[in-house]
Amino acid sequence: MPAEKNYYTIDPEGKLTCLKCKVPLVKGKAKFMYLDNGFPVELPVCPVCGFIYVPEELALGKVASVERALEDK
Amino acid sequence: MAQIQERGSTHVYKVSKIAQEEVDSMVSRCVYEDPPFCSAACPLKLDTRAFLQAAASGDLNKALLLYEKVTPFPLVLSSGCDAPCEKKCRLSEIGDAIAIREVEAAVSRYGQAKKASGVFRMRKKQTVAIFGSGLFTLFLAGELEKKMYPLTVFCEEAGFEGFLKAAAGFLDEEAFRLELSRLKGKEIHFEFGCRLTPEFFAEKRAAFDVVCASEEAALRFFPEAVCDPALMIYEAERLVMGCGGKEGNDGATHADGTLGTGKTGVMAAAFGAKKAALTVDRLAQRLDPRNTRGNEGPSESRLYTDLSSATALERVSKAGAVYTREEAVQEASRCLDCHCEECMKSCAFLAHYKKHPGLIGREIYNNTQIIMGDHQLNKPMNSCSLCGQCTVTCPNGFDMAHICRSARRNMVETDKMPLAPHEFALLDMLFSNGEAFLARPQPRSLPYSIVKEREQADAPTDSSSLVPNGVGADTWTDSGSFAPDGAGLDTLAGTCKYVFFPGCQASAIAPATVRAAYEDLCRRLPGGVGLMLGCCGAIASWAGREELTKQTRAFLSQELSRLGDPIIIAGCPSCKKELSEFWPGLILGIWDVLLEIGLPESEAVPSPDSPMGQQAADLLNGNHSDAPEDETDASSDCLHFHGRSVALHDSCGARGDEKTQNAIRELMAQMGIELVETPYSGDRSPCCGYGGLASYANPEVAKEMTDKCLERSDLPYITYCMACRDRFAREGHESRHILELIYGTDAGSPPDISEKRYNRLTLKNTLLTELWQEAPAMQKRDYPLRFTEEARRLMDSRMILTDDVLEVIDELRKTGDAILDQETGLSIACKRVGNVTFWVKFTVEEDGAYLVHSAYSHRMTVVKREG
Repeated sequence: MPAEKNYYTIDPEGKLTCLKCKVPLVKGKAKFMYLDNGFPVELPVCPVCGFIYVPEELALGKVASVERALEDK
Repeated sequence: MAQIQERGSTHVYKVSKIAQEEVDSMVSRCVYEDPPFCSAACPLKLDTRAFLQAAASGDLNKALLLYEKVTPFPLVLSSGCDAPCEKKCRLSEIGDAIAIREVEAAVSRYGQAKKASGVFRMRKKQTVAIFGSGLFTLFLAGELEKKMYPLTVFCEEAGFEGFLKAAAGFLDEEAFRLELSRLKGKEIHFEFGCRLTPEFFAEKRAAFDVVCASEEAALRFFPEAVCDPALMIYEAERLVMGCGGKEGNDGATHADGTLGTGKTGVMAAAFGAKKAALTVDRLAQRLDPRNTRGNEGPSESRLYTDLSSATALERVSKAGAVYTREEAVQEASRCLDCHCEECMKSCAFLAHYKKHPGLIGREIYNNTQIIMGDHQLNKPMNSCSLCGQCTVTCPNGFDMAHICRSARRNMVETDKMPLAPHEFALLDMLFSNGEAFLARPQPRSLPYSIVKEREQADAPTDSSSLVPNGVGADTWTDSGSFAPDGAGLDTLAGTCKYVFFPGCQASAIAPATVRAAYEDLCRRLPGGVGLMLGCCGAIASWAGREELTKQTRAFLSQELSRLGDPIIIAGCPSCKKELSEFWPGLILGIWDVLLEIGLPESEAVPSPDSPMGQQAADLLNGNHSDAPEDETDASSDCLHFHGRSVALHDSCGARGDEKTQNAIRELMAQMGIELVETPYSGDRSPCCGYGGLASYANPEVAKEMTDKCLERSDLPYITYCMACRDRFAREGHESRHILELIYGTDAGSPPDISEKRYNRLTLKNTLLTELWQEAPAMQKRDYPLRFTEEARRLMDSRMILTDDVLEVIDELRKTGDAILDQETGLSIACKRVGNVTFWVKFTVEEDGAYLVHSAYSHRMTVVKREG
């Protein structure tokens, strides 16, 4: 599996909080899956409930372009 | 909620090969790569088109370079060539052919030959000798020198002048001087003043790998020599020789079939020398000279040239014996630069990819056969609107739609088709044939109500006039189409003679128009008119999903049977076409029916009493604050088309359906609307960009298609397909569906994707409530939801529906899962719906309403990773 990549940093630290758990999101390990491909990444995650946040710029940028590439494989 | 299975692994090894014969037969219809007629006619295969273009641009050096590719002695050739190219020049059909030979002569005279660098030219090892003199020998020597053979010419003449004189004594002084210097500049070893006797030949030949001779010399060496004119060889002695006449003519290649002498033998000698040089090549390599010779000589071309733009029809006259440089440039400028781009002129898809259809067609076929690696043609394959315009504009009937459809089906079948480009449309179809589907016989509340007097006065007495030209027309007229009052009541048993099928786009874009049309048909058509709101299945078919297409057809067939196999009255030409693919019964267009029964009494029938939507909207979502604007009674607005000029956009669904095209024109004439025909109307009409799901797979190309339609006229467009109306209006061009004019309704500004769904559902529910007195099952939301304008815009461009947002908010209310971005103050929640994860950015208002600021989505799933 390729080395994990970090496409998003929470800046400033603590600006994102989990509404349910009332705690700041932290950098956590996650994996994107699409068409049987997996990509290890680091994303903002709630340390309590494990909610993983995919920021808009990531979803519309890198994620979308990888989706396109995989769809045409 | 309906779902479609995402395709499996990226590592798919399935291949279903499309038959090579199909590929070849489809692709070879494109004549783009056929040579222009002038080149095809030239035995030497001069790229005449490029030559004339170079000359026309004033670059005589480049033109000469092209000419020198086919002949080592341009002035000799151009002095005597019999110019078969000119006879085939397309301009000769409407005026004077281009004086190609004259231009060649001028180019040969004024162009500066480029000195060959010689760096990459390796001299061959095999040696060649030529015995004799004359035109054939001269050309052959030039050809072999070009091929870099160490070459020796044995001739009886005393020097270069004599040798050239013997070959081309007809040259004028200037030309002779130029060609002499060209001859001297060639790397040919001459042995002048030889006595060409059989003994001499026998003595010399052993030193060479290949020997050649003029016909005269060959006959002197071997009186019994017989030349094979196709190979220019005397087989018994393996002697390459000229044949067909004293000058080395090849009678077979002469355009008029005669043997020429002197000047008139130039072309035959040049062509003979070309063939002989190829034979020398084969012999030098110890190969059979018969094999691998390629296409020699003139050929036929299937190229098509549009002559309508040709203006300079008269040949430029020359002041002297030869064109001056200026005259030659002017004459060459008359060249039409024959290219067949008929389909590309009018098709935004082909224009976008800048490839001729033969090429892109083959690439698309190849795309289906890739097992691993990038399918780079997926996007182009899914960007064709499948409208069939190219098949009409192409002189050879090239069928891009067939290629793209067949490729899409193949990709789906082998599990290589990505779902993403078509998923939204397919789900929309499932929505139309699911939640928003309606099939009912004529309601009791809307009986057939033509008063007898009017019927007697208006009904055509000659029943044959009622017969449309379609198949099964008898069904349409039998049993007294205009039955007595009250005939509609018979339909209460649950069957009906007709069913109105307006099409999913009409219900989505102009629900009040659909209702007005339906009510009119109910009142004026006897025998019962049912209503079917749904999708004809074109979407599944366009997407190449055969299984889904079959299911849709089976479903619609079953529903139609439940209504008693009625005659379908389609509201959309594409639906009519698609339904006819599987429905054996009669299918009419509403335009056919309106022509028969006449327009409604006033073109501006009042809109339904109860405005569309509101009641159902309240039921659906008590606090839905974003109900789309109702279609308004815009009779006065629509009537302003009276006497005004409008452009008619023919639907691509009606291509080949002249009856439909004419019916629309007739209805417009009856309404007193003046129609201005645009370029590419009727069968040649382009697609608005909706067809073939182009707008889902490639919005950019789809927009170019819309623009292409709109550039034909600044006048308001009248359409008879609701999708066209919608796409034109979306681009800010005034457009109306013909039914809006007929029923005085105005669908207003184009709805967004959520409104389109909402309109369909609301139409169904309103009609169920108001016409059939049924209580529709509707889910009530118990919280209000609002959108910022920006959120609406983003959702529309990102293909996110209000329903998707509602799913997210429902999930949020259930689980409480969301985050807060303290910088923006926006909360963010998500939900996976089918194959897509939707994210919604929102705030909660004081009244408890959710105000959506933005929404986005991705198809990837995201999971927590341990370790």
